[in-house]
This record gives sequence, structure tokens and C-alpha cells, in this order.
Amino acid sequence: MIRPIGGVTLAALAAGLVMAFGVAPREATQGNVQRIMYLHVPSVWVAYLAFAVVLVASIAYLGRRSETADWVAHASAEVGVLFTGLTIATGSIWGKPTWGTWWTWDARLTSVSILFVMYLGYLLLRGMIEDRERGARYAAVVGIVAAFNIPLVHFSVYWWRTLHQPPSLMKPGPGTMPDVIVAALLVNFAAFSLLYVYFVAKRVRLLRREAEAAG
Amino acid sequence: MADNWGFVLTAYGLAAVVLVAYWRRLVRREKELQGRRLASQPPRARPGVSEPLAPISGHPRSKPASRPPLP
Amino acid sequence: MLTFARRAFIVVWKDLLVERRSKETLNALFFFALLLLFVFQFAVGPDRERLAGTLPGLLWLGFILSGLLGLGRTFVVERENDCWEALLLAPGDKSAIYVGKLAGNLLLMLVVEAILVVLFGFFFNLDLGAVLPALAVVIGLGTVAFAAVGTLFAAMTAQVRARELLFPVLLLPVQAPVLLATVKATEAVLLGEPLGSVAHWLKLLAAADVVYVAVGVLTFDFVLEG
Repeated sequence: MIRPIGGVTLAALAAGLVMAFGVAPREATQGNVQRIMYLHVPSVWVAYLAFAVVLVASIAYLGRRSETADWVAHASAEVGVLFTGLTIATGSIWGKPTWGTWWTWDARLTSVSILFVMYLGYLLLRGMIEDRERGARYAAVVGIVAAFNIPLVHFSVYWWRTLHQPPSLMKPGPGTMPDVIVAALLVNFAAFSLLYVYFVAKRVRLLRREAEAAG
Repeated sequence: MADNWGFVLTAYGLAAVVLVAYWRRLVRREKELQGRRLASQPPRARPGVSEPLAPISGHPRSKPASRPPLP
Repeated sequence: MLTFARRAFIVVWKDLLVERRSKETLNALFFFALLLLFVFQFAVGPDRERLAGTLPGLLWLGFILSGLLGLGRTFVVERENDCWEALLLAPGDKSAIYVGKLAGNLLLMLVVEAILVVLFGFFFNLDLGAVLPALAVVIGLGTVAFAAVGTLFAAMTAQVRARELLFPVLLLPVQAPVLLATVKATEAVLLGEPLGSVAHWLKLLAAADVVYVAVGVLTFDFVLEG
């Protein structure tokens, strides 16, 4: 079942690349370096998707004590951290030629960095508890706290960056972008979402097999 | 302006490297697990197998012996 | 409802009694706060302009570092004195224990913060008289948020091997928005601006307080199970 998902994912990623480099136009002010956006923005959207899944799976685990819910939470957090890291890295690489600096404390990079560290802590917690059942319980609680924290992070950082200060170059969302750019973003988002599903499925299967092996 | 294709390629290249590396890690761990399971598995016909390979439902509570001792 | 409050109150009372007899936590934290002040002075230097700019951040850094120290111990104490099993076996809603612990930790942090504010005023020669009420509001809101998540995470990490590492690693990222809000609000308050000018920060803090305490109350049962 997982292999066909992988196949479709590969096709979608290829389509995404075509959209990003072939179909999308060269941007007026930034030039072709703006194409990094088709990597950077879908990454962050998938990261949020992943952390939302962590929240749902965590609540499901505490409610039903289903091992599968625990595995899904674990896998989703791992893949979420992966994509969050990618978001930060690509954001930084995009920033260097655009603003002249590798790092800037703009709203998105700052929020995403906080998310990164939060869920990295989640993974660290899981790694440090030997007892599987307790690890699952505690991780679920942390997963819930972290998810509810996300809107607080957003508002606080956004106000910090925009009050008494002009907003940054990278707008928070599609907003007033031309259709073809939005289309390219959506195609890449779909491709990355499929990649997310593929990775989570494989990771859950690995967790299940590890649990079976441990007996 | 050189359009900074170097940066674009670095970004996409980095993403590809990271994602492929994660994929390979998953594949490798699964192969290891597969290998270990085949190595330790006795011949198929075993009448007295009591434990099913996968837990039936729910999350088993840890045995008291496996919990950390209280100070 | 009444037994819940009563149970929570018993936990607070027990902790206060223990603290009053041993005074170990409060003494240690007071000494720690004093040391922090020296370090801040050395780090920032005598330049008054620079000091005024960094003061809100330093103040909250002091609160957080002391808070980490104090909160980190809150459940370790139970384990050391074999009270842990008693807590687990206590009948009824375990969330009452959470509320009790939260109240105790809140009290402890507020006392340490009050001491720090006085020391800051003394060592850095500030006139805090007029801004004290507004400052108290900001500190109160921020501390509730810190203590709410801190108490929950402290209960979890009390049973983990590397708890001194894991506790701050889990708590600090979560507290980032709260820290942002409190520092910005403190900045405004210390400049003499009215609380109304930072209403959005205060609302964020209030929302955080509600969310964190609610999640704590709802999930504490799961933390204390084993």
C-alpha cells in the first residue's frame, strides 16, 4: 500500500518542480531567486499540517490508548520537525541574496524557529523515556500543549515584528499574488503533503515493527 | 544581477539531500529489523506459540519490574 | 467542587508548611537572585542608557532562571520524601493536586519576583513607586502562565533521568510568546506608559493563562498515572 503512495508522490514532486521552474514566471523585483518560495512556503504549510495531526493523535491516544495513535503522533512530529527545519534552512538561503543577511528576526522565521525547538523537545522527551507507555502519555500531553501554543506564538511574534515597524518582505500568505504563482504553490503543497503522508506511513510501519520485535 | 541561481540550487539541493537521507534512513532501519526478525525466527511449524506478534488492542501497561525504582 | 478546592488547598498548605520549616527553597532562590544581579551588572556595565534598554529583558531573565530552579524541584521533593505514591493513591480528581501545586509554585515565584524587583530597584537605582501597580499586573499575568506550564512539565520530568536538562528544554520554547509579551509590556510600563497602551499584550497573556491552566487541569490526571 505504501509503495503506490510513493510512486504518486514522486510524480507530484516532479510536477511541482515543473511548476516552480517551468510554469511560474520570473519575479519582477527579486528575480529567479524567488523560486525558493515554492520550496519554502509549502514546507511550512506541511509542517503545520503535521503538528495538527500530532494534536489530534495525541488527544486520540489519551482518550483511547490506541498504540496506533501514539505511533502516528510520533511519526508526524518527526516529519514535522524535518519540514520545519527545511523551512528555516530555505528561508535563510532565500534571505541571504534578498536582504543581504543569513538570518533575520522576521515574523515567519522567528515563529517557525520557536516551533522547531518546541517539537524538537517533544522528540527529545520521547527519546529519554524508556517506558513505552509513559513515554506515549507524556508525549501526548506535550503535543497538546505545543499545539495550543502555536496561535500564541503567531500573534506574539507578529505583533512584535509589525507594531511600530513596517511588515517584512515575505507576506504571510498568498493574498494578492497572481494566479499562476498561487497555482505553483498549491501544486508543490500537494506534492509535499503526499510526501508527508508517505513518510508518516513508512515511519508508523517502522514503529509498529519495532514494537512487535520488542515484544 | 546573476539572478542568484546558486542560491536556488543550494536550497533545492539541500531539500533533496535531506529528504532522501531521511527516506534512506527509514528504509535502512526497516531492512535491519527485517534481517533481525528472520535471523531470530525459529522454523514455521511451532504449535505452542502463545503470544501473537502484534498487540491485539490498546496499549499494554508496563510491567512493574520495568518501571524505575522509587527512591 | 468544594472538595476539589479543599484538596487543592491542602496541597498548598502542606507545601507552605514544609517551606516555612525548612526555608531551603526560598533561601536558595533569594541567594540565586542576588547572584544574578551581580552577573547582570557585570554583563551590561555602568552605562545607564544601555541598562535602561536591557532592563525589562534582564528582569524577566532573572524571573525565568529563578523560576526554572524553583519549579524544577517542585515534584522532586515529593519523590525524595516518599510522598509520590501517596499522591498517586489519593482518591478523586488528581487535578486538584495540580491546582494546589500551581498555587504553591505561583506563590513562591511571586515572592522571589518581588524580591528581585526590590533588588533591581535598589542596585540599579530605579524609581519604581509610580509604576508598581502596573508592573504587578504584568508580572502576575506572566507568572501564572509560566507556573501553569512549569508545574505540568515538572510533574513529567520529575520521573525522567535527565530531568535538569529536559525541564528547561521543554518549558522555555513554550514560554517564548509569554516572554515576548511580558518583556514588551514591562518595557512600556517601566517607561511610565499606562496599561491601556499594551492592552494587546495583556490580552495575549490572559489568553495564555486560561489555555495553559485549562490544559494543565485536563491533562494532569494522565501525567500522574504511573
